[in-house]
Amino acid sequence: MRYLFIFLAFLSINSSSDNLYYFEDENDETRFNNLIKDIRCPKCTSGSLSSSNAPISEDLKIKIAEMINENKTDQEIKDYVSSRFGQDSLYEPDLNKNTYILWYSPFVFLLLALLFFFFRRQ
Amino acid sequence: MNILLKLIVLIVPAIFIFLFFIILTNEDVYPGADYDQFELPDFELKDLDDSKRISIDFIEGDYVLNVWASWCITCIVEHPYLMNLSKTGVPVIGLNYKDEKQDAIVWLKKYGNPYQTILHDYKGNLALDLGVTGAPETFLINNGEIVAHYQGEVNDRIWNDVFMPIIKDRKMF
Repeated sequence: MRYLFIFLAFLSINSSSDNLYYFEDENDETRFNNLIKDIRCPKCTSGSLSSSNAPISEDLKIKIAEMINENKTDQEIKDYVSSRFGQDSLYEPDLNKNTYILWYSPFVFLLLALLFFFFRRQ
Repeated sequence: MNILLKLIVLIVPAIFIFLFFIILTNEDVYPGADYDQFELPDFELKDLDDSKRISIDFIEGDYVLNVWASWCITCIVEHPYLMNLSKTGVPVIGLNYKDEKQDAIVWLKKYGNPYQTILHDYKGNLALDLGVTGAPETFLINNGEIVAHYQGEVNDRIWNDVFMPIIKDRKMF
């Protein structure tokens, strides 16, 4: 009898597990999982969509899944999100005139540091 | 050369202190304000009062779109200001966000209704397309184009500092 209960318990776990989002193929699902890691939850200080269960994140994930099934490209989906929830909703911001400092300043600082050590040695 | 290097130790922190002083003491910054302009997205929602279908062409001209819900505490705080605003002749359209119809109607009976029309966005589809993250949020719409978006409570100060310059600039209402 006990073994039957254990058996039933395992069976019930399997029968209640289901996908939250539906995709035509595995490639789409991989794209979805990558996208929700790259997009920030609009309500969280620092957390990706995949880490968030906030209502707005749930909505956004459903929307992204929809857009993937409509054959939208990753860039179109990212544009959709960033035009609505701001540039900072992308963990990897686009390279444009507003983000030059963000992308190139590490190299500038590296150069300055190298110059500093070069002159100090002299 | 050596003196210059030693001075850097003083100059660099001084620059940072100066920058932080300017940025942090600037009182004109409204973190909830967003002036991105974009077309009002397509929608078809039901009217909260009579369940008539409302599409994008239903509302014309300039208006204020206020996102609210009966579960939203800040909306109660904001509410008297919206009542005054609609009394002065500014058309205010409500977007009831993720709310049960009955709760919303009871809430309006209790506090009063400042809205000309209320769209019932039960699933939050239009709100998501607008970039709404919660309630209350307020949009300024100029001939089908969104010209300002504010996240949070609208009061006299926000209205005058965030919305008024754009209203004057575009000669709205």
